Amino acid sequence: MLLFRSEESVNRWCRAQGLPVRPMIDLRQLWHLAVTWYGNRLTVDSRRPAPDEMVAIFAGIGLTGSFWDPKADQWSS
Amino acid sequence: MDFDTRVKLRIYDTVARTTATPTTGEVATALHAPLADVEAAFRRLHAKRLLVPEPGDPSRIRMAPPFSGVKTDFRVRVEDKVYYANCSWDALGIPAALHRDAVVEATDGQTGEPITIEVRNAAPVPRPCVFHFAVPAARWWENIIDT
Repeated sequence: MLLFRSEESVNRWCRAQGLPVRPMIDLRQLWHLAVTWYGNRLTVDSRRPAPDEMVAIFAGIGLTGSFWDPKADQWSS
Repeated sequence: MDFDTRVKLRIYDTVARTTATPTTGEVATALHAPLADVEAAFRRLHAKRLLVPEPGDPSRIRMAPPFSGVKTDFRVRVEDKVYYANCSWDALGIPAALHRDAVVEATDGQTGEPITIEVRNAAPVPRPCVFHFAVPAARWWENIIDT
């Protein structure tokens, strides 16, 4: 996952790479993911979220669909 | 506390204190445990996606997410320490894991221009930027080092 100054910067990068533009999130959403994933990482009970938990976490910040489903066999952005 | 949890905590405690990920040998010495037992624990923690071994050298750690075992383009300054993260998500994951203020120093993926994100009082200071996911969630761990 890469960081860009703006959506236009993403679009230029995708064109240059010959890649489709895929989902983008903002700083507030990424901070939510960072805290959810890693907030207790240094503790006894820390673990990576299970696939169903991931789907719920993503949905909680508006990220839905097969792109965000770690169990998906097929996906679309 | 089971052995794998002790190994996990030793890894994360070491990287949090020193900014460097420990080797299997260093963990074995610290825990007074047989090296083979620590090597097996590393393999199980990898299976749980709590670490990624260095390709070609399973005694070393490439990733103990959100921390990177090698220098990357995602530098995270926390007080007088500099950590490296695996990606922009993990760059924010470091202050989230440490519960500390931080300054993330990264670059624009297209132009290479520096982008700084400050985390202060348990939240990032708002600034214009976006994060692009080129790979769907189902494929993140097919090649996690490059994802």
